[in-house]
Amino acid sequence: MPSSFRFLEDIALADIAFEAEGDSPEELFRGATQALIETMADPLTVTNSWNHHLTKTDEELEALLFDWLSEMVYWKDAAGVVFHEAPLTVTWNQGKWTVSGTLAGAPVNSQTQELRNDVKGITRHLYRVEGAGAHWRATVVVDV
Amino acid sequence: MTVNRISDEVWEIPPSEKAGMLVPARIYAIPAVLQTMDSGVFDQVTNVACLPGIQRYALCMPDGHWGYGFPIGGVAAFDAREGIISPGGVGYDVNCGMRLIRTDLTLADVQPRLERLMTELFRRVPAGVGAGGSVKLTRGDLNAVMVEGARWCVEQGYGWHQDLARIEEGGRIKGADPSVVSDQAVSRGIRQLGTLGSGNHYLEVQVVSNDRIFDAATASALGITGYDQIVIMVHCGSRGFGHQVASDYLKVFAKAMPRHGISVKDQQLACAPFLSPEGQDYFAAMNCAANMAFANRQVITHHVREGFAAVFDRSPEELGMNLVYDVAHNIAKVERYPEGDLLVHRKGATRAFGPGSMELWPEFRTTGQPVICGGSMETGSYLLVGTDQAVADTFGSTMHGSGRTMSRTQAKKQVRGEQLQQQMKQRGILVKAVSMSGLAEEAGFAYKNISDVVQTVERAGITKKVAELRPVGNIKG
Repeated sequence: MPSSFRFLEDIALADIAFEAEGDSPEELFRGATQALIETMADPLTVTNSWNHHLTKTDEELEALLFDWLSEMVYWKDAAGVVFHEAPLTVTWNQGKWTVSGTLAGAPVNSQTQELRNDVKGITRHLYRVEGAGAHWRATVVVDV
Repeated sequence: MTVNRISDEVWEIPPSEKAGMLVPARIYAIPAVLQTMDSGVFDQVTNVACLPGIQRYALCMPDGHWGYGFPIGGVAAFDAREGIISPGGVGYDVNCGMRLIRTDLTLADVQPRLERLMTELFRRVPAGVGAGGSVKLTRGDLNAVMVEGARWCVEQGYGWHQDLARIEEGGRIKGADPSVVSDQAVSRGIRQLGTLGSGNHYLEVQVVSNDRIFDAATASALGITGYDQIVIMVHCGSRGFGHQVASDYLKVFAKAMPRHGISVKDQQLACAPFLSPEGQDYFAAMNCAANMAFANRQVITHHVREGFAAVFDRSPEELGMNLVYDVAHNIAKVERYPEGDLLVHRKGATRAFGPGSMELWPEFRTTGQPVICGGSMETGSYLLVGTDQAVADTFGSTMHGSGRTMSRTQAKKQVRGEQLQQQMKQRGILVKAVSMSGLAEEAGFAYKNISDVVQTVERAGITKKVAELRPVGNIKG
């Protein structure tokens, strides 16, 4: 199980919730990132004409994932883009977690892209990251 | 949880039901509506009843459903000196609200050109994920929008001076301070002026038939004449800008709460004393977002008027495209009640001042303040007016829409967007949508029956029905 995600039906009536899993914190981040990308648009319809590199650090993995996903939402609005992919690495060093990755996508184009939900923010509702060893899981509710 | 019947429309949860409740919680719902409410409403409204400085009751309107911190449909008033302010009580889409524009056109005028009209509106009003607006703002312009709201738009030619008298607070809420708004919020908002967004936001062309006017005198005073009259409803808010303001201050409040000795039952009820530096900064930033939302709906109105003028080859003035009203349903405002100055939080709830309210513009002192409630895109919406009883019973508040009963994921499993679009076309409702999956999520069956919701507030005496508005065209993000 490298990484996976599934949308949850019953925990966010007016919004969208997903659960991501991975066999490491890095795979967990990949699963959650992919879920957020697919919430906004079908990535197969989005090209790679825009990219932005990001690095974020935090002592808490839970806070780091929240900030990382929030940053994706920020760039969606600030640059007017949707994403094709976001390759990333997650490392642990001297008591801190660091995520480093590249948001890759293209300016919004409703003629060529399958657009889905305009995510306004990541919320704290039922938000959690838990895990150890080879099983990591996150629950995320996004406000649309 | 014990829920006591106060009347057929009002239900009360006593403070003994949850540790920390300072006041009872009251839910407005006829029995049929109460049964559709999710358990989150009961849990969340009782959490709100625990917040410092709350007065009388924590309230939930009949369109209530689970939200972040407060339920959607939540109303709570806090002592302006001793109480708190909470972004979770305002809603993250600050000043999400409704605007209604009247016309002199009838369905007979519009139907032959409906396809062209909806195409024109869809082209002119940007909607959906990441769509940018047509108004290019500098940072200085955005600062002016934050302070001046819809007034800035009118001064720039995006509207008429008489529009301002038909917007809550004249389209400009005082006390906005751009210096307490983050650069991130500015970056998200600077290209979004005049955009609808997605989710449950929409622009709808509607018809008012004679048999759906319930109070002809009030309708006439508000410019609603019936005879298959065409009106336009706009539902949207402050977009990513307002959400960023809320996110920024949730973090600030989470850190400040221990310092102020406040603990809450849900992280998303994070709050600060209203008069604390953090509370005042959030209030000033929230007012910036509220003004941005008024401006957003004003620019959209300008594009709607241009679209109609292009299709019908007559000016918006000749088409009689005046505002009926524009009202916020996600906001916190200081208002005076018998208890004194209170900070009233309305989240998915509409101000509903009656004719006796001196805060209203003179033209609404005989009718009461217009209340615009949006239903699902398949069923219809309502124009109502506030009452003096609302001021007495619910801090001058009422419902805002129909309220969801089904999750977006479940709705998408029941219908495809293309299928729904076709079904609606067969029923005479033309839909243009950026996202077909987003369209499916907004299917009528995912919402409560708005007539039951409206029946509750009318029977409770907190709002009076004026007219029902039936959709004929809808634009969704």
